[in-house]
Amino acid sequence: MSNTLRPYLNAVRATLTAALTLENFSSQMVERHNKPEIEVGNSPEVLLKPLIVSRNESEKVLIEPSVNSIRLSIKIKQADEIEKILCHKFTRFMMMRAEGFVILRRKPLPGYDISFLITNFHSESMLKHKLVDFIIQFMEDVDKEISEMKLSLNARARIVAESYLSTVSCPI
Amino acid sequence: MSRQAPLVIDNGTGYTKMGFAGNSEPSFVFPTVIATHQSASSGSSNTSAGSGARAPPPIAGKPSHLASKRGIEDLDFFIGDEAVANSKTYSLHYPIRHGQIENWDHMERFWEQCIFKYLRAEPEDHYVLLTEPPLNPPENRENTAEIMFESFNVQGLYIAVQAVLALAASWTSSKVNERTLTGVVIDSGDGVTHTIPVAEGYVIGSSIKHIPIAGRDITYFVQQLLRDRGESAQIPPEDQLRVAEKIKEDYTYVCQDIVKEFKKYDSDPYKYFARFAGEHSVTGRKYDLDVGYERFLAPEIFFNPEIYSSDFLTPLPEVVDTVIQTSPIDVRRGLYKNIVLSGGSTMFKDFGKRLQRDVKAIVDGRIAGSEEKSGSHLKSSGVEVNVISHKRQRYAVWYGGSLMASTPEFYNVSHSRVDYEEYGPSLVRRFSVFGSAV
Amino acid sequence: MILLESHSVIINDVLTDRFEKASRADIQFVDYDNVRFHLSTPETKSKILLSMGIQCWPDLLKYGAREYLQNEYQQYLLPQEQTEPEYDVSLMIDLEQLPESVEDRNSLISKLSHLKSVAMSSPFLSAFQEQSNLQAGYKDAGGAQQKDFTSEQSAETKGELKIIRYREEEAIYIQASNDRVTVVFSTVFKEETDKVFGRVFLQEFVDARKLNALQNAPQVRYSNREPPLEIRHLPGLHNGEDWGYVTFVLFPRHFSNPTQAQSTINRIQLFRDYLHYHIKCSKAYMHSRMRYRVAEFLKILNRAKPEVATAEKKTASGRTFRTR
Repeated sequence: MSNTLRPYLNAVRATLTAALTLENFSSQMVERHNKPEIEVGNSPEVLLKPLIVSRNESEKVLIEPSVNSIRLSIKIKQADEIEKILCHKFTRFMMMRAEGFVILRRKPLPGYDISFLITNFHSESMLKHKLVDFIIQFMEDVDKEISEMKLSLNARARIVAESYLSTVSCPI
Repeated sequence: MSRQAPLVIDNGTGYTKMGFAGNSEPSFVFPTVIATHQSASSGSSNTSAGSGARAPPPIAGKPSHLASKRGIEDLDFFIGDEAVANSKTYSLHYPIRHGQIENWDHMERFWEQCIFKYLRAEPEDHYVLLTEPPLNPPENRENTAEIMFESFNVQGLYIAVQAVLALAASWTSSKVNERTLTGVVIDSGDGVTHTIPVAEGYVIGSSIKHIPIAGRDITYFVQQLLRDRGESAQIPPEDQLRVAEKIKEDYTYVCQDIVKEFKKYDSDPYKYFARFAGEHSVTGRKYDLDVGYERFLAPEIFFNPEIYSSDFLTPLPEVVDTVIQTSPIDVRRGLYKNIVLSGGSTMFKDFGKRLQRDVKAIVDGRIAGSEEKSGSHLKSSGVEVNVISHKRQRYAVWYGGSLMASTPEFYNVSHSRVDYEEYGPSLVRRFSVFGSAV
Repeated sequence: MILLESHSVIINDVLTDRFEKASRADIQFVDYDNVRFHLSTPETKSKILLSMGIQCWPDLLKYGAREYLQNEYQQYLLPQEQTEPEYDVSLMIDLEQLPESVEDRNSLISKLSHLKSVAMSSPFLSAFQEQSNLQAGYKDAGGAQQKDFTSEQSAETKGELKIIRYREEEAIYIQASNDRVTVVFSTVFKEETDKVFGRVFLQEFVDARKLNALQNAPQVRYSNREPPLEIRHLPGLHNGEDWGYVTFVLFPRHFSNPTQAQSTINRIQLFRDYLHYHIKCSKAYMHSRMRYRVAEFLKILNRAKPEVATAEKKTASGRTFRTR
């Protein structure tokens, strides 16, 4: 792991752990409803200050806490066109299966690649530190996965080209 | 732009049928099996752990030189008959279980070769019609659409329910004079028999019944009968199943009265017993044997299951009747009128005739009973019972697909590429029936 | 399966079957690049009519496809006026007049199943022919004219530019010159992912030749957006973001003898299909990787859920039971 990744992840972990203090909070607009305030956003008094943890220009995390929910958006590193398309494919594939990932938002926030929404119900029914672990693990693995996919794509392309050309080439 | 014939692919549990729309027969029929190159250890852990813990896909290493094609291990596989032929060095996988796709990785690669190696079609130029079993979860359709549109870039996709296609296929029969999509489909393949009621193109899911008797059981039954009569002594042990299958396909028929048939055979065995001539598959030694009562007893297990199985005892006509009786009352008449056969195990001679007679007997019995209860005040006008068998029965589902995909309307109801890009895979949750008005 | 085969499996299967035992047939099927086939028995069971409709037929005709097919299939090829309507070429195979020996029959089947690739070969072959003529002419002219390369002379050493519009939007351009034959493919990718993947693949095609083992392979050039020099003068060329041009430079050694030439042609013809096939396979591979990765993530997430004690208990035979 490179030197800058560790502090970056540590910062996210600390911020997220601190932000994950959620309580059951009934909606102030609709009686007997409980809505994730961060998504509704019409009662500014229950929203807390959003925070951006950024490693560099292309990698950052936006954490938006509120009284009963927290939204976490990740911008994943995309160095070139290939990584961009692979990242897009991967996040799309995952969001298609958002049903299984209870905390995954079906759409990312504009400017980010993937967003999670953790409500007080999630933090009550699931272990909080494990949730944080998941997010960190995700951030770590997704970079790895994308660069591995890119490598394998290049490797494949090379073999494909070589096998094709080797059948056309002729011994002199 | 001239449109190219749509591809029609019917992936069944046992066999995959595929070809081009407009033809009367599929161009390829082979087992739905994929042979992948995997070490035995990872293969066995695959099956035991189920979908939860799959072996990771091979990770591409840096290619060292051309001879070792590292990094594209996932292209090293065979499907269908070739897979079976290579089963010694490869491990076989069946991506479809009980009609539903279980292993998407394998299925995606299976389609890959279906399209590129066998059909030789560029999917970007074609519409594709796929089939699905009744009660397929919408997630499965979404996954299918995702693969078809994102991996293969197909022009358009239509996923049809197999039973509905089987109904459409029956329109070729001369007995059919109106083209409806209401009816009961009896689909009997190799592993299981389904009775599926369909009303106006929609499957009545709650009334579907499965019968655990199908082609494979008939083969076993023939084998057992041969063994009981001592005929199987002639057959080399490794060929027994094959011979039983051959006898099932070539000599059997459905009789109308089992007792009479026995008498007939006993009084003049020379007339009714058939001779089967076989050849040892390895040594080439010739042998022949008598084919006797199994000729009519084999398909009889549909009508009198007690002669074969001790678990399942309900005869097929009764199952059909129950299925219709549990369906909504306003479609029952239509269902009785249109009982359609599909699949290889319904191909026995006179199968339809017998089924029609037996169902009719049950229905008439019930009508007579209720007339009597009413004190003979009410007279019923009777219920029409029709069992439809036709020439395309064996590949009825595929043929129905071919028929539907060759109508111009097909292009209107299919989900097109443009739609997919706009709505995403959830597009296929919307289900459009067509053909009833054709 | 890495390489695509150049014969049609359906023709092969059906004919093998029919050569054994004649029966009726009426099958329509396709091959890559908008090729349609129709195999039927219009009169009697024993006479099989195999027709092919191919989009670029007018182009092929210009480059002597008909003569070449006549040469290859001889008595089987039906004359122009007897060709089935809506199709471009028809062959008639009489099952009663088949060759006797098994090998001959098999070679006939194999030849017939290569119908598409044979038809598409003619422009390549005529370009090869042209090249050898040009080469001879070039040598005869000697070194005297070689000094100054005026535009007139350089045009002289080039053969006719052959265009085969084999798909709706894509075309193959073939040009012979005195020491080489240049084949240019115009390619278009309809989707963003395809475009990116395609670029990666094509770049590797260009780079692969640096390998020692592949020194003899044809040289490959790839240009994005801009058409290469050979065809730049043609009207109506696209040069948008989605377009790419792939150039193969074939040297005489690639088509020195007929078998070599034919195998080169068979490969080159299928270049586009090969490329697209592998792009699709890579996407399928990416899918399986992503499925695996998503399943892994899900496992990690599920660790956050506390253990549920009240799971359904089952006996070995699969029945459920309840503890009291």
